[in-house]
Amino acid sequence: MNSRKKLNFDTVVIGGGIAGLQTAIDLGDQGFKVAIIEKDATIGGTMIRLSKVFPTLDCASCITTPKMSEAAHHDNITLFTMCTLNALDKESNKVTASITQQPRYLDPDKCIGCRQCEYNCPVYVLDEEQGDLTLRKAAYIPFSNAIPQLALIDVENCSLCGKCAKVCPTDAIDYFQEPEDFIIEARTAVVTTGFNMTPADQKKEYGQGKIENVITALQMERILAPHGPYMRALRPSDGKEPESIAFIQCAGSRDKSLGVSYCSRVCCMYAIKQCMLLSGSLPLADLTIYYMDIRAFGKGYEQFYQNAKAMGIEFVKSKIASISQGADQSVALKYEAQEEGGKLATREHDLVVLSLGIVPEWDPTGICDIAKDTDQFIQCKMPKIAPTITSIEGMFTAGVASGPKDIVDTIAESGAAAMEAGNYMKHYH
Amino acid sequence: MSKDNDKNKDDEATDINENTDANDTVEKIGVYICHCGGNISDHVDVEKVAESVKNIPGVTKVHTNSFMCSDPGQELIEKDIKSGSINRVVVASCAPSLHESTFRGAIKRADMNPFLYDHANIREQVSWVHDGEPATAKASILVKSSIEKARGLKALDVLKVDAKKHVLIVGGGIAGMRSGLDLAKQGFEVAILEKSPFLGGQASKLSRLAPSYEYAKDLIVELYTQLSKQNKVTFYTCAEMSSFKGYIGNFDVTLTREPSDAVKSKSKGEFVENRGIFIDNIPKETEEIAITIGAVVMATGFKTYEPAEDEFGFNKLEPVTTLEQFIQDYKKAETKKGILYLNNKKIKRIAFIHCVGSRQIPGIHEPDKNGNLNEYCSRTCCSSTLQAAERIKTTCPNTDVFDFYRDIRTYGRFQEDIYDSASEKGVMFFRFEPDAQPEVTENKNGKFPISIKTKDVLTFNEEIEVDVDLVVLVTGIIPNDISSMINMMKLPVGTDKFLQEVHPKLRPVEVANTGILLAGTCQAPMDITESCAAAQAASVKATALLYKGFVELDPFVAQVDTELCKGHGECLKVCPVDNTIEIDKVAKVNPALCTGCGICTAVCPENAIDVMGWSLKQYEKMVDAILAA
Ligand SMILES: Cc1cc2nc3c(=O)[nH]c(=O)nc-3n(C[C@H](O)[C@H](O)[C@H](O)COP(=O)(O)OP(=O)(O)OC[C@H]3O[C@@H](n4cnc5c(N)ncnc54)[C@H](O)[C@@H]3O)c2cc1C
Ligand code: SF4
Ligand code: SF4
Repeated sequence: MNSRKKLNFDTVVIGGGIAGLQTAIDLGDQGFKVAIIEKDATIGGTMIRLSKVFPTLDCASCITTPKMSEAAHHDNITLFTMCTLNALDKESNKVTASITQQPRYLDPDKCIGCRQCEYNCPVYVLDEEQGDLTLRKAAYIPFSNAIPQLALIDVENCSLCGKCAKVCPTDAIDYFQEPEDFIIEARTAVVTTGFNMTPADQKKEYGQGKIENVITALQMERILAPHGPYMRALRPSDGKEPESIAFIQCAGSRDKSLGVSYCSRVCCMYAIKQCMLLSGSLPLADLTIYYMDIRAFGKGYEQFYQNAKAMGIEFVKSKIASISQGADQSVALKYEAQEEGGKLATREHDLVVLSLGIVPEWDPTGICDIAKDTDQFIQCKMPKIAPTITSIEGMFTAGVASGPKDIVDTIAESGAAAMEAGNYMKHYH
Repeated sequence: MSKDNDKNKDDEATDINENTDANDTVEKIGVYICHCGGNISDHVDVEKVAESVKNIPGVTKVHTNSFMCSDPGQELIEKDIKSGSINRVVVASCAPSLHESTFRGAIKRADMNPFLYDHANIREQVSWVHDGEPATAKASILVKSSIEKARGLKALDVLKVDAKKHVLIVGGGIAGMRSGLDLAKQGFEVAILEKSPFLGGQASKLSRLAPSYEYAKDLIVELYTQLSKQNKVTFYTCAEMSSFKGYIGNFDVTLTREPSDAVKSKSKGEFVENRGIFIDNIPKETEEIAITIGAVVMATGFKTYEPAEDEFGFNKLEPVTTLEQFIQDYKKAETKKGILYLNNKKIKRIAFIHCVGSRQIPGIHEPDKNGNLNEYCSRTCCSSTLQAAERIKTTCPNTDVFDFYRDIRTYGRFQEDIYDSASEKGVMFFRFEPDAQPEVTENKNGKFPISIKTKDVLTFNEEIEVDVDLVVLVTGIIPNDISSMINMMKLPVGTDKFLQEVHPKLRPVEVANTGILLAGTCQAPMDITESCAAAQAASVKATALLYKGFVELDPFVAQVDTELCKGHGECLKVCPVDNTIEIDKVAKVNPALCTGCGICTAVCPENAIDVMGWSLKQYEKMVDAILAA
């Protein structure tokens, strides 16, 4: 395909997580035309994949779906999913994004989201949407409230048996679909590319991902979610109801040896939240959080922490020295026991959650000249009085793309980015 | 069977009365019941509720769905409307405040009037407070009564009222200046109301800021310079709000300005240390100014907690001060032989005690004289303390710095670096439990005037004693006293005494009263970055509200049947909102002011006044449905 399609918008938003959605809505509400570029098959980012959210304990779906659907149905917003950003340039008042849309292997105009392909596909693979704790098909819709409600075929795993093509009522399946390149020209760009978790297999002392029943916080989010992999709280290795669950804080943050010297800002609160949810579903389980400092700094967060303490969740001030496999598939933790004068002690738990840290999802190197800061997140040029301005005029940033943040702070900052971009367009164009 | 197939069970529709007359005057009610993941269906048998309403006359569709607010959920409604199967919608799910607008949007997209819809709350009012059989029974009753209400719904139009492109910013601190600048750039008229003769607020007292080491003064001057280039900004300094009336788009506000004997010798735009930018238009005598504005941004900020008498020796022992005071004194500090001198006093040893007036726990901390405890964390104090400690160790390495803390909360970007640097430079840390606070006493015989005793958690509860020259109490943030505005404007306040947003994630900078927005620390403790982000979020909301020059309001307002009205004026007597009802032979309602409370409906002897969308007849039907069940 040589004649690349060119589309025009006022703003191109890179990343369709909560930051991108809120920025787009706030720009759209001012009358600007916005394109959202998302690499996944659905918008919603991390937030739609969470269970409930602190400090209100609203279910994540209930709070995210209205924003997703508001963006999807907004007259001024156009969504592009499955998109790879190849280049993002700014030249003389114009932002140019060069994009490749990856094939779903079906015609999105024909697909009605009926899931017949999914039901009839014979291939099962690990479901990354469920933290690899259960299986999905090779033809699938990511999850029940994904937007758009379009299926896709995972070609890596597809056996080309042809079943989906046979059962699709609208003849949408197209095994030979090619990636499609296109260009978006806009007046401004907002980078809302969010984050990834620090790798679970990084730290030698923590078993490098090889110990059974040591899971990540995002896996725990899925276990606790309404449509989770087990539909209840069980441990992965044998499906046992865990009687004692421990959380290891700062596993991947505040650790220079891992290159992440900063605090990831949300892990204390999400661990407390997960404990609260666990104490609801497993009222008899012992819940322990091993921590250095509890950072409950936001509105209502300290009260949330004190409630957790009052509920009987145990908080142990200690940095875990090492993790190993204990008896009966349990997990043994070695730590300095404060009550015994700092002696090295060992305690076993049925299930252990690593409160992993946050690293940027997108590295602009080679794609865009926007500056990163020493922590690798997008640099803010005026961090105090204009926190969304980046090194490139006309490009803004919001959410975790410019450093770890919870949802409340992400949403406020997204409004700020929409304000800056709106004013920029009003004055310099 | 694969789990995926279970999802087939969702979205099950029951078609009933399929051959209903296509005549649109016949009510064809679609009922949509939500599982809310498991939030509702874990406690309410959703299928049973569906079953219980499907044979009610007029109900033509009943669906259940795992998330009605999701796109597939909304599409169920759209499909049924487009196929002509329904002309009224009842959704049973969470509180309407969450998703009413979502479902109205779906109905609008299907080209039906969005007010032909009613909402039953079976989450907050049922599944979150009841369980088992009674929960299912109550949900069923609420849905039935909602169906009866839906029968009486009529198509309504939103009310359009003109809106002034003029915003009042209350508070001239950093957040207020930030928001004022954004809105002025939008081309709106901006009025900044400030109590003092200065702009800059609390930040004017600060020096270098954590974690960027920028000077607060530079930021204030930068914002002011940009603001003063805008031609539509008016600064009302030395002013307070004296009255507030009206509705979004058209608020009538009076400001009272009082003379002030503050710094007369300063010139306009000059930065005065610890006070801010001087605005040289102090009134000679009391003035009253009336303005009409479209929206208000509250940016009234904070003050620091004042320790109680003798709290850690405060006001009793001379060498006990607060962080706020210390930062101001430190601006003039001197160094001799690597030792800190404050107000000409040698400080060989200094101690900081964190969380004074913050993170208070019932049963452990003393409430203040009004019975209040500040249970929240003040968020900014750990970083500013560590930065102060780090600065002392950098410029005065021979002064010993001791830091007594509960948790170090250097959560923000580059804040942890300050903590690291402070530790590397030799700040000594002691950790205490809230129920074993450090004791500050006079040290009569020793080399140092003050002694601090604590049980240090870091050394496994060793009892330690440290003697120092100065103790700095790290006092927290409390909201400014704005009770008169809270009363005038009827602003919602949280248990923490800060202004309360509608929802921290869905509508984080809005209060329930439309047209009033929140910026910065009047809402919660925040640092400058966070206050400016919140201020800009408030600006964008104000822009979206006002940029078209009109606002749209819900049509649920009182309406008079002029045939029946005899002009008794009973409604006028009870209406709680001034100027909403006028009697000119018959009663007339100003729909923009009417809040739809319905008190007038209850007192009218002629039954001539009713609230649209919530008529008396509808209520009667709802009550009948509840009693029949
Ligand atoms: C385990 C866990 C629990 C949490 N619990 C809570 C909680 O209870 N309450 C709370 O307030 N916060 C919580 N958080 C924090 C919350 O998840 C974040 O604040 C929020 O999701 C950040 O949103 P975002 O849009 O900035 O980033 P993301 O959600 O990461 O969104 C970024 C989006 O950009 C897309 N993208 C990235 N790069 C590109 C590219 N190059 N091109 C196109 N698209 C791209 C991604 O696919 C993604 O969709 C939790 C975090 C974790 C890890
Ligand atoms: S938020 Fe808590 S767990 Fe996460 S890095 Fe910071 S201190 Fe550690
Ligand atoms: S920021 Fe630190 S000093 Fe301030 S209240 Fe919170 S924990 Fe205490």
